[in-house]
Amino acid sequence: MEKMNEKIQNIAKELLENKEVNLIIGFTKGSNPLRMRSVFITDPKDVSKLSFNSHCVQDLAVFLKKPEVKKFGKIGIVVKGCDEKAVNTLIQEYQLSRDNIKIIGLECHGVIKQNLADKGENSLNQSTVYDKCLACEVHTPTLYDYLVESDEQAFEINGNSIKPYAKIEELDLMSAEERNVFWQNEFEKCIKCYACRQVCPLCYCTRCIVEKNTPQWIETNIEETGNAQWNMIRAYHLSGRCIGCGECERACPVNIPLMLINEKMARDTFEKFGYKSGIDINAKPVFGTFDINDFNDFIK
Amino acid sequence: MARIGVFVCWCGSNIAGTVDVKRVAEEAAKIPGVVEAIDYKYMCSDPGQNAFRNMIKDKNLTGVVLAACSPHMHENTFRKAAIKEGLNPYFVEIANIREQVSWVHEDKEKATEKAIDLLKMMVEKVKRNKPIEDVRVPLTKKALVIGGGISGIQAALDIANGGVEVILVEKEPSIGGKMIQLDETFPTLDCSSCIMTPKMVEAYQHPNIKLYTYSELEDVSGYIGNFNVKIRKKARSIVEKDCTGCGDCWNACPMHKNVKSEFNVNLSERTAIYVPFPQAVPLIPVIDRSVCLHYKKGGKCQKCYDACGPKCINFDLQDEIIEEKVGAIVAATGYDLMENSLYGEYGYGQFKDVVSGLQFERLLSASGPTEGVIKRPSDGKTPETIVFIQCVGSRDPEKGVPYCSKVCCMYTAKHAKLFAHKVHGSQSYVFYIDIRATSKGYEEFVRSTMENDGAIYLRGRVSKIYENGGKLIVKGADTLSGNQVEIAADMVVLATGVIPKKGSDKMAQMLGISYDKYGFYTESHPKLRPAESSTAGIYLAGMAQGPRDIPESVVSGSAAASKILGLFSKSEYEVEGTIASVNKTTCVGCFYCQRVCAYSAISKEEVKDRSGNVLKVVANVNSGLCTGCGACVNACFSKSIDVRGFMDEQIFAEIKSLAV
Repeated sequence: MEKMNEKIQNIAKELLENKEVNLIIGFTKGSNPLRMRSVFITDPKDVSKLSFNSHCVQDLAVFLKKPEVKKFGKIGIVVKGCDEKAVNTLIQEYQLSRDNIKIIGLECHGVIKQNLADKGENSLNQSTVYDKCLACEVHTPTLYDYLVESDEQAFEINGNSIKPYAKIEELDLMSAEERNVFWQNEFEKCIKCYACRQVCPLCYCTRCIVEKNTPQWIETNIEETGNAQWNMIRAYHLSGRCIGCGECERACPVNIPLMLINEKMARDTFEKFGYKSGIDINAKPVFGTFDINDFNDFIK
Repeated sequence: MARIGVFVCWCGSNIAGTVDVKRVAEEAAKIPGVVEAIDYKYMCSDPGQNAFRNMIKDKNLTGVVLAACSPHMHENTFRKAAIKEGLNPYFVEIANIREQVSWVHEDKEKATEKAIDLLKMMVEKVKRNKPIEDVRVPLTKKALVIGGGISGIQAALDIANGGVEVILVEKEPSIGGKMIQLDETFPTLDCSSCIMTPKMVEAYQHPNIKLYTYSELEDVSGYIGNFNVKIRKKARSIVEKDCTGCGDCWNACPMHKNVKSEFNVNLSERTAIYVPFPQAVPLIPVIDRSVCLHYKKGGKCQKCYDACGPKCINFDLQDEIIEEKVGAIVAATGYDLMENSLYGEYGYGQFKDVVSGLQFERLLSASGPTEGVIKRPSDGKTPETIVFIQCVGSRDPEKGVPYCSKVCCMYTAKHAKLFAHKVHGSQSYVFYIDIRATSKGYEEFVRSTMENDGAIYLRGRVSKIYENGGKLIVKGADTLSGNQVEIAADMVVLATGVIPKKGSDKMAQMLGISYDKYGFYTESHPKLRPAESSTAGIYLAGMAQGPRDIPESVVSGSAAASKILGLFSKSEYEVEGTIASVNKTTCVGCFYCQRVCAYSAISKEEVKDRSGNVLKVVANVNSGLCTGCGACVNACFSKSIDVRGFMDEQIFAEIKSLAV
């Protein structure tokens, strides 16, 4: 990874020195050798802190929505392909100007599940990476100003034994009642900490719908109705938008499998509308598009 | 403190027959905030309205709820009555207990409960209503008419005669539309061009009408009173002001046998530089660049230029884009005929002597390819027997369209009549399904074709046509006698169905008006607002709305014109105040609202601090364009947009009133 780090550092240095950006958001080593964390660099002398490896699980694009980051104006960001899709969506949804962002895109073969890394796992293979990495279509980002290629070889995926998000098919086969029971059990765990929202790069509303109290559409207390309402509205607001970085599920302290919902929504969106989010900054978001050929077989 | 008055209308037995109106009123009186609740036989009657006004006055009401018919019926009546008592009209709400209750339910007990629920919802809503002021928008007193057929010309003339400037845009090189292609017109048999050309000339010469022929609408933006339109004036290759219409150019054109005449529906040829017909308005030729040798062979041929006296031919002319600001638009884009090739059994395209109704018009016309002598296309002989087939494509859900094209019964009768007049001793047969002759003088006309002109009407369909010994053998069924018939005809005329002008769907999308599944523009209300489109400021006329005959097209053109003159008679246009409004504090500017707005009513607005720095960009609603449909409200993730009169709080209170 040393060559890769050197390249990232050189690009960052050049961007900061030439005043092309005022801030670089990247990864740096954490206190634990198998944990990486975000770093914000404004001084070219600090670029040596920048680093990348297969423990860089975070989606740094989440910081782009923060006012304290926005005030820097021109920003450089280090992103994996999956995270870069969030940058694309922010541009598509007018939250970010393409002119104000320099994208340092990384070639990435996958990141190791954090719970395994915490137990010392350090090898990249099909059983150690997140499901999103197994289903990944953007090992190289779709949009970048600089591309840093990986030093490492991609690992082989044995297609027959691995099925990302296999639980979705299982849920699809259930009856509506069974599925409801499954999700009610999951949502029952929710403590309404809203970590899923805070960590999502696309939940950028300054006033979330749960915070609207005249009227209070979503119950704020932690009980069956309120929990289901929150989780449903979160899924609904991200359907056709979620880029599948998986940060919500990673951040959830009670382990609700949120990516099953997100991925199911993404699959349906592609199946029904042929749309994949975060691929093209000029695409019309499926949520905001009416096409005369849209399916309407649900209207009876 | 809310002081709400409630009226429960019987609507005679319409409501009272199925809903216990007394009980509804009693229950209403128990709702907190309701100061009085009464039932009354006819609220819309004069005494009913007086009771309404008196209660507002006597009880000092802050809001009123009527449990009555649909708000579409009398909301306006009662809003006006409220204004007279000094109450903001948006404090009047209607619980629809007729269309939504008494007319659709039978069980009186349950219907009464539902009526009480609907009433409760409205009481809770009206408690949270806020005064709304209607929005006034300025008007540009100039109109655009799209389409220079009879309905468009009529609309343009009526508007222009009302003292308003009109821009008339026609796609073809001449105005006149389909009507100028017709021969004589039913049921009075006046010659179409004799009655049409004066109208065309009048429109051309009218000081208030600016005519753009060979031009197409390129773009429309804006809203009622304030449309910005772009018109593409296609390059004619002629400097129009210098042209005298002498005809030297087209007589010199070497391309005189190669191009089918659109005006004569492929029954004759035209040159590359041409006027579509001798009475064209304006009488200025156009070069068809797709066939002209000058363009095809790199500038070698310029015979028309050499022949032109005033030298007004300029091969290098380019399309021009003209921008205009108008306050109202008439869409009168007309119609086409269906493709006859859909009906292989009739042999259209295969047998030269099977022609469409419009082609037969050209064969009858004195200005047509045969100068009014009926000659069949294959060998130029005068036919002695003609079979007319009605409902080709119309009323045929399988292969064609399910609707009736309306004009075919009449023009077929006219064809048969004119054929009998022009070829003595001839015989016509008409295959029909039903005969629809419902306007003034129509039934008599069809009768006289049968009785005086000897046309034989056969009720049934034709199954096959084939050629044998110079004759067309028509095999069909006469369902009245139950016999199969076989007729040896010299010609067959198909009464082909009417469809909207090609591209009418695109036009509707550009204008932002709605259209039906066939592509006909839909009216704002099919009965009560037949001249208005779904979009304010855009009016409809002619066959673009659906099949209709000439008198109806003229009437619709005049109707659109009268609507526009009425609109322009005021200095400003008043829009209902129930439109969207943005909470600029919470809006994050994702502009999903803009993407889903069908009326282009949302624009971007910069929020600046005192030093002029842009803090953020938020949505802004153009009150002239917004119709209050609420699509934006659904699209907004942060609930930062609401429709006045249908605020989140009001809807929420309505729903909550139902919770026990």
